Amino acid sequence: MKKQTMFLRMITASLLRRRSRMLVALLAIAVGATILSGLVTIYYDVPRQMGEQFRSYGANMIFTSSNGKKLSKSEIDSAKKKINNSQLVGAAPYRYENMTVYERPLMAASTDFDEAQKTSPYWRVDGEWPSAEGQALVGQEIAATLEVKAGDTVTLVYDLDEAPATADEANKGERNQNSRDFTVAGILDTGGNEEKYIFISVPDMEALTGKTDVFDMTELSVSANRDELEKYADTITKNVDGVSARLVKRVTQSENTVLSKLQALVLLVTVIVLLLTMICVATTMMAVVTERRKEVGLRKALGASNKSIIFEFMGEGLLLGAIGGLLGSVCGFIFAQAVSMNVFNSSIQFHWVLIPITIIVSVLVTGLSCLLPVRSATDVDPALVLKGE
Amino acid sequence: MFFRMIKGALFRQKSKMIMIAVTIALGASLATAMLNIMLDVGDKVNQELKAYGANITVVPKENSVLTDLYALDGQEETAAAHLKEDDIGKIKTIFWGFNILDFTPFVNTTVVLDDETEVKLTGTWFNHHLALNTGEELDAGIHSLRSWWDVKNGQWLDEQKEGTANGGAMVGTVLAERLGISSGDSLHVKTSDGEKTLSVVGVFDSGGDEDEQIFTTLATAQELSGTKGLIDSIEVSALTTPDNELAKKAATKGPGSLSPADYETWYCTAYVSSICYQIQEAIPDSVASPVRQVAESEGNILDKTQLLMILITILSLFGSALGISNLVTASVMERSNEIGLLKAIGARDYRISGIVLTEIIITAVVGGVAGYFMGYGFAQIIGQTVFNSSIEMKPMVIPIVAVLIVIVTLAGSIPAIRMLLRLRPAEVLHGR
Amino acid sequence: MSLLEIKNVSKIYGPLKALDNVNLTVENGEWLAIMGPSGSGKSTMMNIIGCMDKPSLGEVILDGVDIAKESGKKLTEIRRDKIGLIFQQFHLVNYLTAVENVMVSQYYHSMPDEKEALEALERVGLKDRAKHLPSQLSGGEQQRVCIARALINHPEIILADEPTGNLDEANENIVIDIFKQLHRQGTTLIVVTHDPEVAEVAQRTVVLEHGRLVNEIKNEGFEE
Repeated sequence: MKKQTMFLRMITASLLRRRSRMLVALLAIAVGATILSGLVTIYYDVPRQMGEQFRSYGANMIFTSSNGKKLSKSEIDSAKKKINNSQLVGAAPYRYENMTVYERPLMAASTDFDEAQKTSPYWRVDGEWPSAEGQALVGQEIAATLEVKAGDTVTLVYDLDEAPATADEANKGERNQNSRDFTVAGILDTGGNEEKYIFISVPDMEALTGKTDVFDMTELSVSANRDELEKYADTITKNVDGVSARLVKRVTQSENTVLSKLQALVLLVTVIVLLLTMICVATTMMAVVTERRKEVGLRKALGASNKSIIFEFMGEGLLLGAIGGLLGSVCGFIFAQAVSMNVFNSSIQFHWVLIPITIIVSVLVTGLSCLLPVRSATDVDPALVLKGE
Repeated sequence: MFFRMIKGALFRQKSKMIMIAVTIALGASLATAMLNIMLDVGDKVNQELKAYGANITVVPKENSVLTDLYALDGQEETAAAHLKEDDIGKIKTIFWGFNILDFTPFVNTTVVLDDETEVKLTGTWFNHHLALNTGEELDAGIHSLRSWWDVKNGQWLDEQKEGTANGGAMVGTVLAERLGISSGDSLHVKTSDGEKTLSVVGVFDSGGDEDEQIFTTLATAQELSGTKGLIDSIEVSALTTPDNELAKKAATKGPGSLSPADYETWYCTAYVSSICYQIQEAIPDSVASPVRQVAESEGNILDKTQLLMILITILSLFGSALGISNLVTASVMERSNEIGLLKAIGARDYRISGIVLTEIIITAVVGGVAGYFMGYGFAQIIGQTVFNSSIEMKPMVIPIVAVLIVIVTLAGSIPAIRMLLRLRPAEVLHGR
Repeated sequence: MSLLEIKNVSKIYGPLKALDNVNLTVENGEWLAIMGPSGSGKSTMMNIIGCMDKPSLGEVILDGVDIAKESGKKLTEIRRDKIGLIFQQFHLVNYLTAVENVMVSQYYHSMPDEKEALEALERVGLKDRAKHLPSQLSGGEQQRVCIARALINHPEIILADEPTGNLDEANENIVIDIFKQLHRQGTTLIVVTHDPEVAEVAQRTVVLEHGRLVNEIKNEGFEE
């Protein structure tokens, strides 16, 4: 029989036949490894997941025209292509026109309502979002002025002439006007400027004004950090003709501040939790190994060299560390996934490299915490240990 | 010497207890730190989220007509309603006054420059010193409400400095570029109510519409717009509790729809809607409404952060609990010989358990107390590093940690003791 | 040349002299018993012969080598190669089976060989118990495993410390029978004991008292 076979036989016998104690040690290592892989996964995933949460603050980038003209759909689309599709949460184009309702001047805006819901998740609509042409979303301030509520009808009038109407002209109806009836689908409450507008769909606006493929600006919500955003804005401004991309500083700057704090928090928590857990694992391993001093003495008496005793105990420890590490990385992933589902309702991105890292760290920690007591045990005179009890 | 001490500590009987105490201390410190951080993280992140600026705006009740839209049509707005400057301080006197972190009034007007172009001018407080009739004194203003402003040259306007209080101004970067002015220059503006030469203190980049505006002190703007003692709106930054069902009901159906008990709960909780309601009560003829972009997102992020921390805390509590009970189990098992001997000389089971448990509980208490203070240290390290402020130590954490430690040590030792007691003494003594 | 020569050996622990100028010679193939009450220095003597301790003064020449002068590492090697140890408390590795316990000794000495280990167990009458764990064996059986382990590497000396101290009479007799058998095969045996019955069966008995050799008895009735 080869020496290695006996080595393995001793180790496996020690692991399998001393079940209760080995389970204690294995449990300790597995818990440590779970915390390691779980927390590190969360730490890496938090900025991404939290970043998505921060998108509830709305648009963080806007496109405007760089040449004084209006934006066209093709310009917006080619600019949008510069942004990684998976990071783009939404892009809502806006066009503003002065209109009148019952002779009261006001501002009408057209947008893509599906996209607007994505870029401005904080909009609160009393009623329904417009889902078809001929429906309008009325800002709360306007609604109060016009005394309309959801379900009412408003008539938007657009002046095709450039010059403002004089009272006389208006009375005679001599102005060149387009008008259209809209059903109020909902009242918009934002606490901001949007409450002063009436929002209608793009085809309605084009029909009213007679001008197609015209946009004033596009609001974009991009799930990326400030540096990435700056890079995107730079690329688009430089490479896409007619489009100038700017960051909404209020959102990007503040997000950067808060997100970096959050990440620092999770990092520090991770470090401290890990540190303490590793020490716990180490003390448990030490207790488990210290218990076997008598065995060390016996092996020495049988003629084992210090080296081979350390080798055996380490072998056992390392095997235990590897099993615990593997177990822990699986549990850690499950934990991180559970956290992600609970907190963010989305599945976590697992970094496969964490499995070997977790195993290596567990092996190192167990190895080191075995080494210390084994070394001390081998220093002791075997006769003393054996006589001890 | 250090290693010698460690070695010594490892192999002397008493020192085994020290090791258990150390592990319990580590576990307790982890639990203490995490629980305290978890309980305080809401407040801390809430403070950080104030970087997004005001979450409540207050406007006059009758401000039904839209100044800027009418101005687009070239018509003069005459009947615009105003709030009174004297009422601003009342914001700080509401039930949740302590949660009001900052606020600033605004006066908006349009001025004509020397080149006959029209520019929006906003009067506001920068760092206005306010003495309330409650005796409290504070500085309020726009500085913390525009944390994202990047002052490109010059500096923030200091109202409390002689000379800048009247006529000092900050100019948006787009406007400054167009006019070719920078800090130190002066800018002549006129309105129908008067004219004035402003001295530019700083140029700021806001990344938004404000880059085309002039910001000056409230008094200067009031003088230019002829609205002495009056203001157009107030922005308020308040610490709020994330909305729940109750708050949503109050916000959509009005506080009147709540039952008296619900009303009381709602009124006495720092929901954004209840703070708005209280501001309206305090300032006559005003409408306070939440800035949805800030208020809604804030609640969302606070909820997520808190939940995240709760889950991490649970994991670390679980980890430290297992760590402690593991070590206790290991160390009890180690004493199989001793327990076998005690049994062999005729000790009753409960006496043996009593001896072992007492020792472990004493160790646990020592470790737990030490751990609490270590945990205090860890919590403060995190608080200072991340938030630059200390973490408040909640007294309720002490009993939680104490109960946890006792349960965990008992859970770790009792099964091990029972197992050893089941063994026959001869087996134990003969090296099973 | 004698297998073991102990010359003027003293072992001093502070004010206590565990061994005081002891002289002893053991010939190859001899069966020696060391007797004495507790505290007489038996264990110290055993530790020194077993290369687990070194004398403070004097020479211990084992197979031509003065082990009093050797380093700890070298002592481990000598112990491994030349000495088979039997303990009062058996000291078996509790998670290894009987045969594996024997193989551990082979493992440290040279190569583990299961067949040889089983043969050794057969010699002590434990072949059918080879796959049992120490906890499943009686005290006598454990001690026989311990003897098999001591024998497996064919040591120059078998050193037994109170081998029957934890055994009942029946098992004691079994162990003594094995010793007799070993002696017939030419193994050098040194048995440390305080039991006169165990000492009686040896060829020669030396008596230690307060660290000194006070008596030496040749067992006249010793049957080869």
